[in-house]
Amino acid sequence: MSKKLEPGMAYDTKKLNKVFAFLSILFLMTVVWVFLDDFIRPWKAVQLKGNQIKKAKLEKSLAEAQKGLDKDKLAKLETQLAEGKKIVQTRQKEISKVQKKLDAVRVKIKGEVIINGRLNSNVSATGFNYGIAHANHDKSEKELFKKLRKYKKEFAASSDRLKKYKAEEKVHVRAIAALRKEVLENEKGIKDLTSKIELTKLALKKLEINPIFVVRNSPFVDFLDPTLKIQQVVMDNITDDRYFQHVPKVDRCMTCHMFIDKEGYEDQENPYKSHPKLDLMVGRDSKHPMKTYGCTSCHGGEGHRVNDFSAAAHTPRNDEQLQEWIEKYNYHPPHKIAKPMFKVGETEAGCVNCHKEVEFIPGADKVNEGRMAMEKYGCYGCHKIEGWEHKRKPGPSLEKIASKVTKEFFKNWVWEPKRFNKHAMMPSFFGQSNNSEPRFMKKNIAEVNAMAEFIWSKSERYTPFMKYTGGNKDKGKELVSTVGCMGCHGVEGFDEASKKVGAYAGPYLTGTGSKVDADWLVSWLKKPSHYQEDTIMPSFRLSDREVNDITAYLMSLRNKKFEKLKFEPLDGKLRDEMLVTYLSAFDTIAVAKEKLSKMSEREKTLELGYRSVGKYGCYSCHNIDGFEGRTPIGPELTNIGSKPLTQFGFGHEHDVEHSRGGWIRAHLINPKRWDNGADKPFKDLLRMPNLYMTEDEADKITVALLGQVSDYIPLAGVKRLDANEKIANEGMKIVNKYNCVGCHKVDGFRGDIMAMYDDANEAPPMLVDQGHRVQADWFHHFLENVYPIRPWLSLRMPSFNLSNEERNKIVQLFQYKAHQNTFVDHDDVVKWEPGEREGARKLFKSLDCASCHAAGFNNEEPTAPNLYFVKRRLRPTWTEKWLRNPQAIFPETVMPNFWEDGESTDTEVFGGDADKQIKALTKYLYELGTMKLPDSNTKYWSKQ
Amino acid sequence: MKELINWLADPIRSFPIFTVLFILMMKYYRVVGTKKFAWGFTIISIPVVLWFATDPNFWLIITWPDNIPISILIVAILFFTWFSLYRCAVNDQRLDDGLCPEEALPENREKVWCWPNLVYTELFAIIAGTIFLIVWAIIFKAPLEEPANPTWAPNPAKAPWYFLGLQEMLVYFDPWMAGVVLPGLVVVGLIAIPYIDTNPKGNGYFTYKERPIAIWGFMFGWLVLWIYLIIVGTFLRGPNWTFYGPFEYWDFHKVVSEYNVNLSEFLWVKWLNTSMPSNLIMREMLGIVLTGLYMFVLPPLIAASNFGKSIIEKTGQIRYYIYITLLLVMMSLPIKMVLRWLFSLKYIIALPEWELNL
Repeated sequence: MSKKLEPGMAYDTKKLNKVFAFLSILFLMTVVWVFLDDFIRPWKAVQLKGNQIKKAKLEKSLAEAQKGLDKDKLAKLETQLAEGKKIVQTRQKEISKVQKKLDAVRVKIKGEVIINGRLNSNVSATGFNYGIAHANHDKSEKELFKKLRKYKKEFAASSDRLKKYKAEEKVHVRAIAALRKEVLENEKGIKDLTSKIELTKLALKKLEINPIFVVRNSPFVDFLDPTLKIQQVVMDNITDDRYFQHVPKVDRCMTCHMFIDKEGYEDQENPYKSHPKLDLMVGRDSKHPMKTYGCTSCHGGEGHRVNDFSAAAHTPRNDEQLQEWIEKYNYHPPHKIAKPMFKVGETEAGCVNCHKEVEFIPGADKVNEGRMAMEKYGCYGCHKIEGWEHKRKPGPSLEKIASKVTKEFFKNWVWEPKRFNKHAMMPSFFGQSNNSEPRFMKKNIAEVNAMAEFIWSKSERYTPFMKYTGGNKDKGKELVSTVGCMGCHGVEGFDEASKKVGAYAGPYLTGTGSKVDADWLVSWLKKPSHYQEDTIMPSFRLSDREVNDITAYLMSLRNKKFEKLKFEPLDGKLRDEMLVTYLSAFDTIAVAKEKLSKMSEREKTLELGYRSVGKYGCYSCHNIDGFEGRTPIGPELTNIGSKPLTQFGFGHEHDVEHSRGGWIRAHLINPKRWDNGADKPFKDLLRMPNLYMTEDEADKITVALLGQVSDYIPLAGVKRLDANEKIANEGMKIVNKYNCVGCHKVDGFRGDIMAMYDDANEAPPMLVDQGHRVQADWFHHFLENVYPIRPWLSLRMPSFNLSNEERNKIVQLFQYKAHQNTFVDHDDVVKWEPGEREGARKLFKSLDCASCHAAGFNNEEPTAPNLYFVKRRLRPTWTEKWLRNPQAIFPETVMPNFWEDGESTDTEVFGGDADKQIKALTKYLYELGTMKLPDSNTKYWSKQ
Repeated sequence: MKELINWLADPIRSFPIFTVLFILMMKYYRVVGTKKFAWGFTIISIPVVLWFATDPNFWLIITWPDNIPISILIVAILFFTWFSLYRCAVNDQRLDDGLCPEEALPENREKVWCWPNLVYTELFAIIAGTIFLIVWAIIFKAPLEEPANPTWAPNPAKAPWYFLGLQEMLVYFDPWMAGVVLPGLVVVGLIAIPYIDTNPKGNGYFTYKERPIAIWGFMFGWLVLWIYLIIVGTFLRGPNWTFYGPFEYWDFHKVVSEYNVNLSEFLWVKWLNTSMPSNLIMREMLGIVLTGLYMFVLPPLIAASNFGKSIIEKTGQIRYYIYITLLLVMMSLPIKMVLRWLFSLKYIIALPEWELNL
């Protein structure tokens, strides 16, 4: 203590004061900092920049509007206005006279409104008092009634006066307007011309940064009416699960994504971009307006959190973007968030949540394609997915397999299906990354042998009903490509076309000769349901000749390498070893061995076969006797999109992206990878087989699966199918089951085989608004008794083995999709207006309908459908629509448009009145339907 | 090197190491309590800490907003421990030399006014503290997270940092013990200190020499059984409350081999090779007897020793027994920890039927 202090003081007071001053200033600074920290929010900067963008846009449109302004017209109007003003000036005296009257009336009106209001409330109050008095039989009742009547009378009189004054006011106003006519008219003209400019200017003014803007947005005052503020939508019909209660979803994304629902910002960078497809999403008039559906109900993420970029749980699309975001926004990946935002490209997964249990979601292409791929690979066979229960098992039935292929073929096929057919959809269980060690391979071989024995022991006997009598291979080949096989099958020899079509409902036809025998094949082709009752393979009504030709071709396709394969025989020791493992699940090994010793060799093999079929879940995809009703082998996927990330087993695979999507994608490409580096006993090896799918397919399936979430959405918020849509969806299930869409494009959906044809007229007909086109009763009949409608097509509509219920569902699908009820009952006798029939006949000639629709009219080869069947087949309203503009329904059609833009090519008949002509011609067609088809031409439409 | 540190950091090893360091520090407090030592320690530790911080996993742990107070706490504890030892060392040297403690020098005994000397400086402390808290709150936002989801609890689920010592105790004790009895006794014991410790020495000045028992007892409980456990709980316990070395990646799937056995199972199955008696008391007899010996026989035995005699002489019988009971309860924690590590001992008395496990 060098310095001398006052007595009783430990410190120098001046020094203390200095410390105090320093601390106070520091404290003040931190207080300011607190307010600034609270005031400066990232989204404010975003909005400021957004306003600049908006301003630039407005200025541009202002400049354009000014440029587009008709200046001459404006100048003219202005001179007229000036003149008008002069004219009006001369009438100034009159105007002021009327104005005075008007003012006087207005005073009266004001006064009368007050009187009227008072009287009105008097009536109400007295009415109430009177009512009470009346109910209580009070003495005052009479007096009150008198009073009430008095008020009512006065009120009526007052109201009447008010009306009178108002009428007077109107007269005066009109009088003034008439006197000022020249001015008002021109003023209105100018306003019409410049209103857009004025409005834009007004909008621009709102964006100005002026003292008022500063005051409104400054700290402490900005709670009043700031211009920069958080924007939000609150959704009553969609809720957020807050674990103990559901609260309405709140999305504030539009705080930064300022123009997301506005057109004209497509050229901006995020967050200022307009949403793509505004007519479907987000836009005010779209099906999913922002006000009702918000953002996160589809995109996922934390819509209510705007404190910074990361808080909203944005998800980068790739590493590059991740790095960019880290730099730009100090981004960190979402943490402990159950549902982070979907990546760009995965957003469609959000559709599935509300659009449940439909066969396809219009507009959600990636999800639809993902589901198609799931159907192709048969994911639903092993994994239960709610809404997929109606689908048939993806693999063929094995109940009669022993009569179809040899045991040797079966074993080699199961071991590695791709070795026989590189397009095989049967996945590979063996020789994979987790079981290709010799010790595992040997056991797998024993299992395959045992499975073959087991399945053969369960297989029913089947004898083909036809014998192959030899055929023309080349003709067969041609038939395969022309008759329509390729709508469901890829075929060797047509590899290019097969690739284009990408059919998957049936197997890729290659090596058939090495697989089945010729008798089986002819029988199968002739009548598929003879071998398997519930097959979806239809009959093409092939003649015996044709069947033999096709068989000749298919039998010529051989896989010599595969034929030479010899499958290793069963190793009894390994079989016993595996059986001991199975039997010792609940017993000791000694007991298991004792049990085993009591079994015969055959019994042992069959037991292992039975166990192995259960182990690999063969029964999930194939019907196998003895496994009816067993639950499929894989875990359920209904809610996989909500499965917590921590429950996905990433094993030692650290290079897999740590997200649900990352896991699913990696799993689809190689489901065995999670075993890498794990020391597992044989029985615990992962069993999901390798599907060898492409990354693109895996991506799409991932999107479809990510949408399988368990989020609860109130009924008011989800898409509920209406009665029509429900029926249509039921029909769609049948259409998908039989792969109708493999050939027909149903309102723009699929039509795979059309890829083979350059000319859509050569392809199967597109089914556009089919329910409106055809009569329901005809359609039902047709599905049961298929006959050729378009004889010039080499393709054939096959005869499907449909049940009556299925036929009904298909008919209903189209009917309800087109909002058509049942069929149209039209009169047998067509009623003609005078002269109409003659006109129709003339038209029929002048338009030369019979040149294409030849059947029944001449002996030409018909190149268009038979017109004698129009009545039976088509609905009149559709026929008219078709005649009016065929290209609008089917753009590629060769049917000419005779009434382009409502103008007839035939100007004579009915004076060229298009409506009359179309009506008459339609009538004529329906009259034809009542006539008998001339015999001489029948060969064209009955020709096979 | 990092592997070695990871290996050493496991409580099985770090607890004895820490205890030995503690004993050395207390024993050689006159060496530790010098400015030279403090500077040396600081100069050595700075590069070491920097080297630690270069490890991404370690950096992640110490910069976790929840863990920052622990880092501050470690630095503060180091300083204040050293500071008290330093003052003790200086005073004890003076006492050895026959002088009075520093605090008793006339210039240090001078009285000053409460205002402004105390009140004013307290105000400074309040303001400075407020500034510190505000700045901290701005820079490290309070880690407010998602609404609690009962089906998706955070892993590891950690107590607030000041309770992490208790949470660490849960590894070794029944929740009833670690969560209720022991913390209760800690509080009771702390309240009881002024009534038990009637030694007037060290009143108003730092000294070690004149009250070694009090200082050893308190410092062991404070540094080894509280601070150490907080550090372990904060930095070294990851998902599933599994131990992770300071440089180890918190792999969610890390599995450790642990299978613990009760004392009664040791007795009946392993040593006597018979079945477990159905009578609960009979079954847990050994544990009950041992606990009884520890709690009720040990105190009189210690009372007969020189150590016990000296305490009784200075404070009286009642104070001695309260003190020794509290001390034994406190020591039960390290004893149980050591038994767990050496023998995988689960409970000494295992009566889950009565929800009573020791």
